Amino acid sequence: MSSVLRKLGWLGRRRQKEAELREELEFHLEEEAEERRADGLTEEEAGYAARRDLGNYTLVREDTRAAWGWTLLERFIQDMRYAFRGLRKSPLFTAVAVSTLALGIGANTAIFSLMDQVLLQSLPVKHPEQLVLVAERGVRFGSSWGDNDISYPMYRDFRDGNQVFSGMFCRFPASISLGYGDRTERVSAELVSGSYFPVLGVTAIIGRTLTPGDDRVPGGHPVAMLSHSFWQSRFSSDPSIVGKQIVANGYTFTVIGVSQPGFDGVEVGYKSKVFVPMMMKAQMTPRSGGPSGGLEERSLSWVTAFGRLKPGISIAQASASLQPLMHSMLEVEVQEPTLQHYSDYDREQFLKNSVELLPGSQGWSSLREHMQTPLWVLAALSSAVLLLACANLANLLLARATTREREMAVRLAIGAGRRRIIGLLLVESLLLSVIGTVVGLGLAFLGDRALLAAYFTADSAGDVLISSVLDVRVFVFALSTMLLTAVVFGLAPAVQSSQAHIAPTLKDRTGSAVGGKQVFLRKLLVSGQMALALLLLIGASLFLRTLANLENTGPGFSTEHLMVFSVDPSLNGYTDERTKHFFRRLTDDLQALPGVSSVGLSTMPILQGYGWTNPIIAEGYSADPGQDQPAILDEISPNLFTTLGVPIVAGRDFTPFETRPVTLINESFARKYFAGRNPIGLHIGLVDDRTATPDALKLEVVGVVKDLKFENLRDPAPGQAYYPYWQGEKFRFMTFYLRTRLEPRQLMETVREQVRRLDPNVPAVDMRTIDEQIGLSLKTERLVASLSAVFGALATALAVIGLYGVMAYSVARRRREIGIRVALGALQSDVLWMVMQQVVVLSGAGLVVGGLLAFALSSLIRSQLYGLQPHDPFTYVSAAVVLAAAACAAGFIPSWRASRVEPMHALRHE
Amino acid sequence: MKEKTPSRIELLQGTLDLLILRTLLTGRAHGHAIAKRIQRTSEELLQVETGSLYPALHRLEAQGWIEASWETSDKGKRAKYYQLTTRGRKQLASEHSKWKAFSRAMGLILSLGEEEAQ
Repeated sequence: MSSVLRKLGWLGRRRQKEAELREELEFHLEEEAEERRADGLTEEEAGYAARRDLGNYTLVREDTRAAWGWTLLERFIQDMRYAFRGLRKSPLFTAVAVSTLALGIGANTAIFSLMDQVLLQSLPVKHPEQLVLVAERGVRFGSSWGDNDISYPMYRDFRDGNQVFSGMFCRFPASISLGYGDRTERVSAELVSGSYFPVLGVTAIIGRTLTPGDDRVPGGHPVAMLSHSFWQSRFSSDPSIVGKQIVANGYTFTVIGVSQPGFDGVEVGYKSKVFVPMMMKAQMTPRSGGPSGGLEERSLSWVTAFGRLKPGISIAQASASLQPLMHSMLEVEVQEPTLQHYSDYDREQFLKNSVELLPGSQGWSSLREHMQTPLWVLAALSSAVLLLACANLANLLLARATTREREMAVRLAIGAGRRRIIGLLLVESLLLSVIGTVVGLGLAFLGDRALLAAYFTADSAGDVLISSVLDVRVFVFALSTMLLTAVVFGLAPAVQSSQAHIAPTLKDRTGSAVGGKQVFLRKLLVSGQMALALLLLIGASLFLRTLANLENTGPGFSTEHLMVFSVDPSLNGYTDERTKHFFRRLTDDLQALPGVSSVGLSTMPILQGYGWTNPIIAEGYSADPGQDQPAILDEISPNLFTTLGVPIVAGRDFTPFETRPVTLINESFARKYFAGRNPIGLHIGLVDDRTATPDALKLEVVGVVKDLKFENLRDPAPGQAYYPYWQGEKFRFMTFYLRTRLEPRQLMETVREQVRRLDPNVPAVDMRTIDEQIGLSLKTERLVASLSAVFGALATALAVIGLYGVMAYSVARRRREIGIRVALGALQSDVLWMVMQQVVVLSGAGLVVGGLLAFALSSLIRSQLYGLQPHDPFTYVSAAVVLAAAACAAGFIPSWRASRVEPMHALRHE
Repeated sequence: MKEKTPSRIELLQGTLDLLILRTLLTGRAHGHAIAKRIQRTSEELLQVETGSLYPALHRLEAQGWIEASWETSDKGKRAKYYQLTTRGRKQLASEHSKWKAFSRAMGLILSLGEEEAQ
């Protein structure tokens, strides 16, 4: 190691070393001469003798220099310089090669950068690999925020009873209203257990972190921590922030510290700005989750729980050890009143629930769950593009090698080793790769920025959740891609060139005797390119048609002149009664606005991925055990369906004066629970979580509405039941839908003003047109479709250029032969067909292989498609036709040229 | 057959390094002096080629077994003096024992040949 360093040190003072070596040898000569003089030689003779004794002065110097260990490096620099000159001399080749590479490497780097941040990176905490997420699997009753969430009492029991974790913590994301100075805003916060920071090993940069001591008494710990980035942006890195007061949801909190830089909570795509003790749940999410805010209810699953495995304990060992603990909890829970109305079968199934531990090194992220498959698909597509780009470059280099055959033969003839030739050519491809990577990194940065702007912005806060800055990992990725591509596209041509047959090449410029193998390799590459291009085109067209299908199905109502926004007065300390009044007043005010034709309210925002499900009982309907699927419920206002334009197919809408418990159901609900019967006047009931007694079918069905998509556009309309919001008990979040006579954009400011006039502190959030909202709900599909279309177009262009290059070259090589054919009487059409035949064979082979590849691979993306099968014949055929047409067009030009060869000219030219 | 005393012995591959290290054990010296010392000590049997002496010196320096400094020679000229480093001493010791083992082995085999011939 030290000798390497020494050599590198010497490299810095190269000139000095040279001078010193010269001086050293001069000194040697003088000493030698002096000795000879002492032996009695004359001055002149002594000098000569000393020289003779030394031997070849230059050789000695060269050999000594070699001992400095730079030969390889020197050779590399020499090759680099030569390659650079070579590239500068052929600017067109260089431009094509560099842009091909830049597009390939840029696309891959851009996708990798996203993948890395969303899928691959670990949390910036101590030993993230020890973290596991604790989830419950099996039949679950009650309400749940997500598949991996458990109830707070369950977390508490795991925390206190387990033997496998060195610590556990839990968290819950909440949007809160935060006031500091004279400004109040909605910010993303995280409710965390007191063990959160100690177990994660995350420290405070100033002040202190939350500890278990800050998380003991419900409602008793008004303390908060700030994230480093929020402290910087909102509090201008105020060092005296610790001890100051902030107002969260109307409660005064004391700031106790700021977390270490780079830590924004454990959910990728959700930047927690404020951390609040879990015990403040009731204050942070008012009137949600039962009287204790969810801290005591076993039927409410809402916390994400993590454990840190003790050293040496595997996930399998840990889950085996936790299972009995889980079972004892289920035994307790099954006795609770909430579960009494379920059938014995259901309760039996419930007792079989199991614990599952998921790797938690990356925290938990809904963004990741949604983006996982699309990102892998995009990564696969972009690597196919890169492979294609490599094939194209290899092809270009092979063509270039042909024009340099003579040069290489001369080099070999005067004694260059084959290895040296391969080295030189590899250095050339490396240089191309380097330039391509530099340009590609620039493209990746711009591309990521564009993608993020279109995709990863938080809906209301405008925060960029994922960064477009390319970090070290991305550079390492780009660098390894660069080296890999340089070898992949450079090696075959280099080896080919180094095998030039010297004598025939030097004798005969046409090289027709030696080029056969090369041409075969080039044809193989072109067929491979066609195959990859077809694969990408088929993929692109599947995704584009999926997007089109989703857009065409629509939500089940007209989206024109329809806008939406939400309010949540409960975050400003409103009581239920005041909130209800606020909704009424706002509805009336908006209704009175000129330009608004109708207003409808819904507790659940439609098409934003929300769904409130509850088990249902219906008059005259009994579910098979284990077969029951709860319906989606929603509390709404009268006129919601008029506003949305969803027709009421039977019965009537709500009136503002309903006093009896009534309900509206959709067609799917009616089909399921009231098959063959007229549902109007029949009754349904929901299973109430708290009293645990069925509400004895107290809701009377007054109308049936046409189905509309609820959670998203993909899933078919589920069974839905609606009831008047004012008959509910808790009033918090409300979404307003407005059908307008004008363009909704023109009304937005007026609407905001109306809300402000009612209460300046209650902001109208997420205000947009329904079209925009649907656009947002399709953003993943749009991202995949547009990128795969770009990749497909790129691939087609590359493949067609490759085909053209090979055919043009092949025709140029066969000029003489074609000349003879024509001279012997071949018609122009014969020649044209002869060349086109090759085009057809080359692209045909590629298309067949590509089609088979697509057939084999496309079932992997089945879940990403909508409204068509992965083996959709129309898609395959149309993609193949498009590509074949492009290939024939590209092949026609050289074929046409071949058919125009003048025999005399061609023969004389040789 | 009349035996002829060789005027010069070709150096075996790799032995020059050992010779240089051993020569420097007696004290620091410049290139020319090292060559002369080897020549004189071997009773003129070993002739060090200048063409291989300097590459060898620079190679040993690169390996950190010897280090060089520019000093004024006894004749008042600037010369590059080499001297052993601690690592060089260790290297010399290990090379020396290897050489001893090697020459013993060679001696054993060659003298066996002589016995058989007799």
